[in-house]
Parts: sequence; C-alpha cells; structure tokens
Amino acid sequence: MTPLAGRGVGIGWRPELSGFVAELPGLRFVEVIAESLPHSGEPPEALARLLAAGVAVVPHGVKLSLGGAEPVDPHRVEHLAQAARAVNAPLVSEHIAYVRAGGVEAGHLLPLPRSREAVDAVVANVVRATAELDVPLALEPIAALFEWPDDELTEAEFLTEILERTDAALLLDIANVYANARNRGEDPMDLLDRLPLERMAYVHVAGGRIHEGRYHDTHTDPVPGEVLELLGELCARQRPPAVLLERDGHYPPAAALRAELDALSAATGYPVITAAAGR
Amino acid sequence: MTGGAVTGGDLARRQEELVLALVAGAATPPGFDAAAVAATQTALLRKRADDVARSWPRLAESAGPGRWPRMFSAWAAGRAPQGSLRDGWDYARANPPRDPAAARELALRDLLWAYDGTTAPRPRRGPAARLHAAELLLRWRGRALTYRLR
Repeated sequence: MTPLAGRGVGIGWRPELSGFVAELPGLRFVEVIAESLPHSGEPPEALARLLAAGVAVVPHGVKLSLGGAEPVDPHRVEHLAQAARAVNAPLVSEHIAYVRAGGVEAGHLLPLPRSREAVDAVVANVVRATAELDVPLALEPIAALFEWPDDELTEAEFLTEILERTDAALLLDIANVYANARNRGEDPMDLLDRLPLERMAYVHVAGGRIHEGRYHDTHTDPVPGEVLELLGELCARQRPPAVLLERDGHYPPAAALRAELDALSAATGYPVITAAAGR
Repeated sequence: MTGGAVTGGDLARRQEELVLALVAGAATPPGFDAAAVAATQTALLRKRADDVARSWPRLAESAGPGRWPRMFSAWAAGRAPQGSLRDGWDYARANPPRDPAAARELALRDLLWAYDGTTAPRPRRGPAARLHAAELLLRWRGRALTYRLR
C-alpha cells in the first residue's frame, strides 16, 4: 500500500530541471508528466540515468480526465500503462478532475460537482484504467477557483467515497488543500481531520500567488510559508510516506529550489536530499 | 468500448456546458459564481499561454519581455484550445511575426509539417528546399538542415 515508503523528499522532473535534478545527491524519487514520455520505448536519457542510480520514477498523468462523464480514452490509458512499464514505476498517479467534454479540451484540470453521479463517473473510469495498469494508482484532489452550484457531498465525503470504492491510494496536494480552504474561507485543518490520511501514497507541495484576492496554485511561484506550516500540521496527524515538490515554470536559481527542498525535509523530518548523506 | 455517457444523469451535458463557457466563449451556466468562473477563464488562458510559449519560444519572446501572456490571451479568449502546436501556429498566422527569430521558427515548422488550419499538422514527406531570409532550409529524412548563405 505504500510503494514510496522510505523515498523521502522528491521533485517533479521537468526537462528544464534536468541538470538541477541530476545533481541532488540524496534524491530517491521523482515524478514525470506521463504524457511527456514517448509512446513506446526508452525514457529520456536523463531519466534513464536517474533510474540506473536507483531513483524511483512515478508517471503523473494530467490528461486522462478520470472525472469525465465520458469513458476514459483507452489509448490514453494504454499510454499511461506503457509509461509505467518503461520506467519500472512503483505506482502512477492522476487527478480527480475532468479536462475535456464533448470533444472540447479545457487545457487544464477542472473540478467535478460533488454529486453521487460524479462519484459514479470517477469510479467507472478508475475501474477502466486500473484494469490496464500493472501498478497501483494514486488519485489527487485538485485546486479550483470555483465550485459547482449543487454539491450533494462534502469534499471529505466525496473524496473518501471515491477512494474506498476504487481502492486507490491518495495523492494529497497540501498546496491544493491550502488554496481551496483559503478561497472558500474554510479552515484547511477541517479537511485534514476528515480525509483517510492512512491512504496517502505521497504528498505534493507547490507554490502559488494571490491575484485579485484569490490564491492561485500556479506551480510557478515560491512555496508560501502557510503551505509549509500546513505540511507540518499534516505530518503531526500522519506523516506521508513521501513528499514531492512541483515546479512547472519561471524556474528560480538552483539555490532557491534547494532551499525549498530543504524546507520540505524540515517540515517532514525526512533526510535532506540536497547534500550528500553522512559525514 | 462504445462512446456516450457512463452514467444515467446529465453530468456529460453539464460538463460540456461548463467547458464551453470556460474556453469557448459560451454563457456561464446558471448557478455558478460568475466572478470565480471569470478568474478561472483568465487562469486557463495564462496556463495555455505558458504551454504555447514552450512549443513556440521565439514567437513568445517576440512579443517583448513579459508581454506574451497578455497578447496571447487577448487573441485566444473564446477560442477553444487546439493544443499548443496548433494554438501557436494559428496565432502566428493571425499575427505574422516580424521578428526574424520568430519568423524563422514559423518557417522551420512549415518546412517539416503540413498544417491546414483545421486539423492536426501532419509531417511532410520527401526532401524539400526553401529559401528563408538568406538561409537555405532543407528537409531531409524528416529533419531540418539549415545553411546560412554568405
């Protein structure tokens, strides 16, 4: 149930970060955007070198649209399964969201209504996907700036029911928990107290910024102190098996990224990965 | 596997209405917070601009420092995303780049891919040679070779 146990602090591998990631002496795991891996055959050389060094690689899908009312595209599922085989992945992850409907692409993750019908849609698609996957699937709740008007379930009820019915693991994005609570005027601890934290496979941490009164989970800004504090609160309740920093653009100097990775270590108590162990 | 909705209710229709409102200029469905939906539209355009800038770096740079997200968003608002390759190509055709590096980027894409403006670009077959701004662009075995003249 915890394929990333002992992997500690990781980082989302991106081509632009390839050189930075290659020089992290304590690194034990990375994520790679599943759709960025080639359809068949070899992973990029830099990823292959990480694999050879014993770093676990987790394909992270962003375009499966597991929350779509339409059946998940079998070709996309096959690609995710193939990506997992290509990097010998211990697990794969995707989102509780939809990204297209009626042939129109949204271009990013969109929230679902918290309805029984939406739970059924996610469960049906997760069943379709996991039938083709050789490894466990972790599901990630998203951040959204709006909600559907007629939710039947609380967020905790919605997520818990999906996880229980699919037997999927939880990929908890602590920055998404922070973003949603802040934008809704809620206390993020309320959600942490009601989620099945024992199902966590790993945790995402990312940066964001406030724009016109709303917190945007941009992945292109520094990780706010409030998000790191919330990560600490999470660890006080249940320490996740592993934690991963996501940065998707406007890349800062290496020293700033190393400081963010070290902050993740400090908040979780996992070993620092930016310096060689021991001595 | 057959298409169609997996569930008996109206989730499919409601999801489609919302996507069309968010990216294709359709009306926001009733009951949603209009300001929050508008903020999402802006955020989606910004992410899309970032994606297109990764596929078309010279085109994005040609907008001038920090100006690409706004310029691209102004053009893309109300147009459904077609993927960053096509989005950038459509933008470049609507706003032909005068910047030499951006024009060269477009010329190299045109050398390797046939794009009709409505369906996915397809790789061009066979060898070809073109002259672009005192540079010879050759297509050979699906790759571009370039030679600066003088």
